[in-house]
Amino acid sequence: MARYGMLIDTQKCIGCYTCVTACQRQNSLPATVQLIRFEERERGTYPNANYEMVPLQCMHCDDAPCQAVCPTGATYTNSDGVVAIDQGRCIGCKYCMAACPYQVRVCNEETGVVDKCRFCTVSANDGTVMCSCVEACLTGARMFGDLDDPESDISKAIVERGAKPIAGDLTEAKIFYVR
Amino acid sequence: MEFEPVWGVPIAMYLFLAGLGGGAFITSAFSQWMYPESATVRKIGRLIAPVAVAVGLVLLMFDAKAGFMNPLRFALLLHNPFSVMTWGVVFLAVFEVIALVSAIFEIRNKTVPRWLNRTGVAFGFAVAAYTGVLLGVVKTFPLWNNSLLPVLFVVSALSTGAASVMLGSLFVCRSEFERMWNLKKVHFFLPVIELALICALLFITGYVSVPAHDTVASLLSGRYALAFWLGLITVGLVVPTCIEAYPIYVTKRIETGSTSKWLSIGGECGVLIGGFLLRLLIILAALPVTIVS
Repeated sequence: MARYGMLIDTQKCIGCYTCVTACQRQNSLPATVQLIRFEERERGTYPNANYEMVPLQCMHCDDAPCQAVCPTGATYTNSDGVVAIDQGRCIGCKYCMAACPYQVRVCNEETGVVDKCRFCTVSANDGTVMCSCVEACLTGARMFGDLDDPESDISKAIVERGAKPIAGDLTEAKIFYVR
Repeated sequence: MEFEPVWGVPIAMYLFLAGLGGGAFITSAFSQWMYPESATVRKIGRLIAPVAVAVGLVLLMFDAKAGFMNPLRFALLLHNPFSVMTWGVVFLAVFEVIALVSAIFEIRNKTVPRWLNRTGVAFGFAVAAYTGVLLGVVKTFPLWNNSLLPVLFVVSALSTGAASVMLGSLFVCRSEFERMWNLKKVHFFLPVIELALICALLFITGYVSVPAHDTVASLLSGRYALAFWLGLITVGLVVPTCIEAYPIYVTKRIETGSTSKWLSIGGECGVLIGGFLLRLLIILAALPVTIVS
């Protein structure tokens, strides 16, 4: 069993949205369903100012607030620490969308079911052909791997580059940011 | 990127109707206790309660599109005992059954048994309070994430429930209703308490964080200011309070004129509009916590 997580380097992100479309292709999503959203920030003051694009998606929190409120058990955490949605159980009440402080859950207007990042890279472990945000990123801003394995590339990178969750200890997030 | 509210008008209407249904039942129970002879007023409340909650539930199911298209999934709603929504479903289901059985008792001109009446009151309160707890546990929105909301929703539920019963009574059995002095007094005080609770809620929320402050600002002086000041505060709370206060504290007598009837009708309608706007504004105006700083 692993505990999968991701690292996103916003210093490398150019805001091209390739990850968004790659994700939509991988997961056969309609154009209106984007599992990655962006927040834009101006940082610093002139002349030492820069512009930052921050991609946000499901943080696969160990203490997922969405899972806590889901009345039907449609949201669950699998043995690899991936927060997942059983689409056949979701009634579309949107309580999870309200409970997720990162606002990264979206409702598929066609089916009424709520969706979010599936950490689809996990499926690549079985040799599946993938087109996930990690592979598609033009600048290599994303990394994926097992957070519990101290020898994994992502574990080493988080330590070396001082990556942190985007909102401190708001939740026990498994996506780490270099900013 | 501008934040888009998760829920909208149908859910605000549902929260309003669930509270109103609970409040109407409690108003009838209060009447049965204080004015056993006022049968028509009591009946009106007994009929409003199950109908209001049922309409609210239909709205709720309609809004939950995935469940609406696959109704069997609603059976899963009791799966997570740690979700407030699961408890809400239990409260709503039990309350709706009690309200329906009580309505059948009244229609057949039989007295609702005391134990059923009391259980109904308890579940009426539970339904009204749970709507506040449902929003209260959501950490995303500072306007919701506090313990004041369930109290505010209960007071508003009692107020709107009583207003719906009184509105019906004004048309159907005015003379019977005008004698129910204590009911009128209670109904006068509820909007006053509500006003104080709204002040406290906004004051406290305003100091929590930047998005919390922005939320309060949007209500007081931003995009929701007109609906807040004119709709909720003026039409929903202050005007009905003044209309109710006039016979209680100024003339101190039972009104029979048609001007007072239509003023009362206007006041009750104001309370109902205010009750709906309270939920709608709380749902729409709430801004989420800051994620990227």
